[in-house]
Amino acid sequence: MIRIENLHKNFGSLEVLKGIDLTISKGEVTVIMGPSGSGKSTLLRCINRLEGITSGKVFIDNQDVADKKTDINFIRSEAGMVFQQFNLFPHMTALANVTLGPRKVRKMPSDKAEKLGRELLGKVGLADKADSYPDHLSGGQKQRVAIARSLALQPKVMLFDEPTSALDPELVGEVLEVMKQLGREGMTMIVVTHEMGFAREVADRVIFMDGGYIIEENTPKEIFTNPQHQRTREFLRSIL
Amino acid sequence: MEMGFDFQYSVMWESVPLLLSGAKLTIIITVFGLVIGFLLGAITGLMKISRNWFVRKLAGLYIECIRGTPIMVQVMFIYFGLPMALGMRIPPMAAGIVAIAVNSGAYIAEIVRGAFQSIEKGQTEAGRSIGLSHLQTMYYVIWPQALRRMIPPLGNQFIISLKDTSLLVVVGVGELTRTGQEIVASNFRAFEVWLTVALMYLVLTLSLSRLLHFLEKRMDINT
Repeated sequence: MIRIENLHKNFGSLEVLKGIDLTISKGEVTVIMGPSGSGKSTLLRCINRLEGITSGKVFIDNQDVADKKTDINFIRSEAGMVFQQFNLFPHMTALANVTLGPRKVRKMPSDKAEKLGRELLGKVGLADKADSYPDHLSGGQKQRVAIARSLALQPKVMLFDEPTSALDPELVGEVLEVMKQLGREGMTMIVVTHEMGFAREVADRVIFMDGGYIIEENTPKEIFTNPQHQRTREFLRSIL
Repeated sequence: MEMGFDFQYSVMWESVPLLLSGAKLTIIITVFGLVIGFLLGAITGLMKISRNWFVRKLAGLYIECIRGTPIMVQVMFIYFGLPMALGMRIPPMAAGIVAIAVNSGAYIAEIVRGAFQSIEKGQTEAGRSIGLSHLQTMYYVIWPQALRRMIPPLGNQFIISLKDTSLLVVVGVGELTRTGQEIVASNFRAFEVWLTVALMYLVLTLSLSRLLHFLEKRMDINT
């Protein structure tokens, strides 16, 4: 599904990713952890090319993301992204946020898009908020609308960039619940998060990154109970 | 010998009909000038944030030239200077509209640029991440938000441009100020006439700011 080969990313003279190799199969839920500045968000953003790639390859469904012949807009519509800061469109209702992609990218007629939009808002538990503007929603509600907005394009993979880090603690649960449900339904997901409970419950694999490298990867059970590397141990101790 | 100032209220009333016809020209020049100026400003403002170096520099050159020279000189150049080079006369009204458009366009360009750049980067990223193209993201996501933020500074510029039309006296457009000048030349009641002229400008600018305030309320995203 996703194949990353020897990926390097520089910001000016700063090398943020120093050769990442990673393969993710269909239906797999992968959690990426690591200290801030370790390159985990950058890795995620290279997958849908929100960040350009310095060298190496990223393939989604065997399509080279960096190839000039690849329709990047199509690739992005197939790889939904959820941001730490939600990034809902503040001038549109929740429903309009969700239907924009289907209408403009998938060219779906308005009535069909609206039906899909309401369905997805229902799925994330916000059927009654369809006509609300983002400013009138709580952080957790905003993030759930953002998830529905990505799902509306029926993506093959969902990328989550610290989706609960900007939320008040009591709102984290409702967002994780939606994500867990997605994972159980078989969605391919790559999640940058420090939520160990989430990782334990739904992740097939946890990847620990530090300093631009993948230091260790394993099942959540193994990595949390029996980390192999000193840096992984230190990090896990620091977030507990 | 003059025995003190004798305020003649009736002079104000008598000058109103003529001044109104001048005000009509002021409004026409302002409206046409600003509509063209807004288009010019929107285009150059977007050029200023283009990824193309040449396009950016071209927009910058226009903005710097206009902002760096007095509008009076621009008016004279367009009305007296350009016809020499073009070999044809430009009607005063047209010269006035062009002057207001070209002048306001430069300032509006900076307003447009600022409004676009003030929209969080995350908005563009969210638009692109659902598969919208660059242009679609600009049109559906960034522009509506930027437009809302432009309104207060645009209102400011609209009022400045409206008042700038008074400079067109130098090319003989019979707008409000010019009309005032002509009335004073015939009745010598400078106090009453200029007071009336000032009040009329005030009515025009106040109406304009009310209109913009109304627009701003209507575009409020949370109503």
